[in-house]
Amino acid sequence: MLSTRPYKLHKLESGPASEAQVTSDEARKYYRDMATVRRMETAAGNLYKEKAIRGFCHLYSGQEACCVGMEAVLDRNDPVITAYRAHGWTYTRGVPVKAVLSELTGRASGCAKGKGGSMHMYNHNFYGGNGIVGAQVPLGAGIAFAQKYREDKRVCVTLYGDGAANQGQVFEAFNMAKLWDLPCIFVCENNKYGMGTAVERAAASTAYYTRGDYIPGLWVDAMDVITVREATRFAKDWCLSGKGPILLEMETYRFSY
Amino acid sequence: YLIPLSSSHYPVNQTTMHRPSLSACQLILRSFGRSGGNIVASRRFASSMNVRDALNSAMKEEIERDPNVFLMGEEVAQYEGAYKVSKGLWKLMGDKRVIDTPITEMGFAGLAVGAAMAGLRPICEFMTFNFSMQAIDHVINSAAKTYYMSAGDVKVPIVFRGPNGAAAGVAAQHSQDFASWYSHCPGLKVVSPWNSEDARGLLKAAIRDNDPVVCLENEMMYGVSFEVSPECESKDFLIPIGKAKIEIPGNHISLISYGKFVGLCVEAAAELAKEGIQCEVLNLRTLRPLDEEAIVKSVMKTHHVVTVESCWPQCGMGAEIAARIMESQAFDYLDAPLTRMTGADVPMPYAQALEAAALPQVADIVRVVRRTLNRAAK
Repeated sequence: MLSTRPYKLHKLESGPASEAQVTSDEARKYYRDMATVRRMETAAGNLYKEKAIRGFCHLYSGQEACCVGMEAVLDRNDPVITAYRAHGWTYTRGVPVKAVLSELTGRASGCAKGKGGSMHMYNHNFYGGNGIVGAQVPLGAGIAFAQKYREDKRVCVTLYGDGAANQGQVFEAFNMAKLWDLPCIFVCENNKYGMGTAVERAAASTAYYTRGDYIPGLWVDAMDVITVREATRFAKDWCLSGKGPILLEMETYRFSY
Repeated sequence: YLIPLSSSHYPVNQTTMHRPSLSACQLILRSFGRSGGNIVASRRFASSMNVRDALNSAMKEEIERDPNVFLMGEEVAQYEGAYKVSKGLWKLMGDKRVIDTPITEMGFAGLAVGAAMAGLRPICEFMTFNFSMQAIDHVINSAAKTYYMSAGDVKVPIVFRGPNGAAAGVAAQHSQDFASWYSHCPGLKVVSPWNSEDARGLLKAAIRDNDPVVCLENEMMYGVSFEVSPECESKDFLIPIGKAKIEIPGNHISLISYGKFVGLCVEAAAELAKEGIQCEVLNLRTLRPLDEEAIVKSVMKTHHVVTVESCWPQCGMGAEIAARIMESQAFDYLDAPLTRMTGADVPMPYAQALEAAALPQVADIVRVVRRTLNRAAK
């Protein structure tokens, strides 16, 4: 049994488990996945410096515990949508490293045939990869809407950054998600910087897990994969029991632009 | 008065000027019947439908036909539509299929696009397309571009519909014509119905289309009634997207337009026919993809062309049509330059006289046609 790092709660009476069972197979899998993402992103960073990758290349290095910890609880039937720092998620959603690097280098063997690039990679139940800051949040609410419409017992995970957290459309999405009880887990990956700007200079409130207001929230130390996993388990149960949306703030760090 | 043979072209009631004398209409209907068909009494096959009912019945049938289709927008459900286009639908279909949204265009348009990506077929109504500007990132970046960016993996079978262009006295922020903005973008299809048949057929085709379609209607046309054919009343009546229609054939000059302004061209054509000028009125129906073949064929026949729209002049639809003609073999058949009749290059004024002066009117079309043809006189 391992301890999870402490959580902070917003409009929740109780939070995720403080202890979690981890088998050695699970531990090895999480480690392997996180190390693979780190290696892949490092390779991408080097290719970018060589100018084999053009345009944008937003690396997930440092944030690996977030996607790997969440995927430990999600299954491939739970859709995920994220912003442009998407390579880590692209891998955990089932796109092989080779297909990611091929796409980044503009090859027809890339996962979007070279037509998408870094910010537009997709897979079954993975809706990218979105270039416009904040746009993916209403889209994610819409995917959750479709699940509720069809009575699928699934959650949609909708990720956005600390920078996007100030976008008006995020609050519009929160409003409709709460109004209509959409099974949406909103996840703010707070890596302390919105593009080049530190959070304190962009946000009047950096308590992102509270900014869903009427949507209950959880602050998560996302540098620990088990802490992330248990938070995700809690959030998924929350949504699937018909309580509507929930917001997770994953406090993490990134090593690059 | 030149009255076209096919009864579905000609409006029975009209909110503006020229009302055809009803007895003349009935007379023509009885003698000509349907084009190419048997001559029978009009009551048996012609029925009248206004554009609002055309759109309403199209949505009703498509929602009934496909469980994935639903309508969302401001006031569409319990209020029955800001312009009553969705009248009766919520009562019939319920909360799941007809959904009132908060006044948050960017949010609900994005939500609708996400739902489309996940396999539903939303009809996303903008109360007017002016408000679509708040959501335009989702129409273009989230909807239009996604099929391409995903190399065909992610489809977005959404319809964005609502009134476009000027209404009556709603002034600058509520009167813009978005035809050229939306038809500029690859990945979108853009249709603009004029009459009831257009409205039914194009909207049904749009809903069944797997690509994002923008359907630009016009508030001033909602109450206008037209004769419709029995085919039009069929539940599977579809008008192909990408095909223009010759409303009135003619040999002297091509009048090319879309939406409400087709009606003005029809009226101008009737007036000019009195002096022996035969206008060919081409109803584009679809703005993207533009039916270039129909445009070229018409101009090659008539050698003269006037376009009519309410977009502003710069980068409007007329500009595109002019360029296409120049790039095609029709260029060599022109006896005069194209004239594009457009909205005046100002934000729409409020006062009625100014508003009228800011938009093409029938008298303007007539004047421009005469001028175009005289310029070509030897």
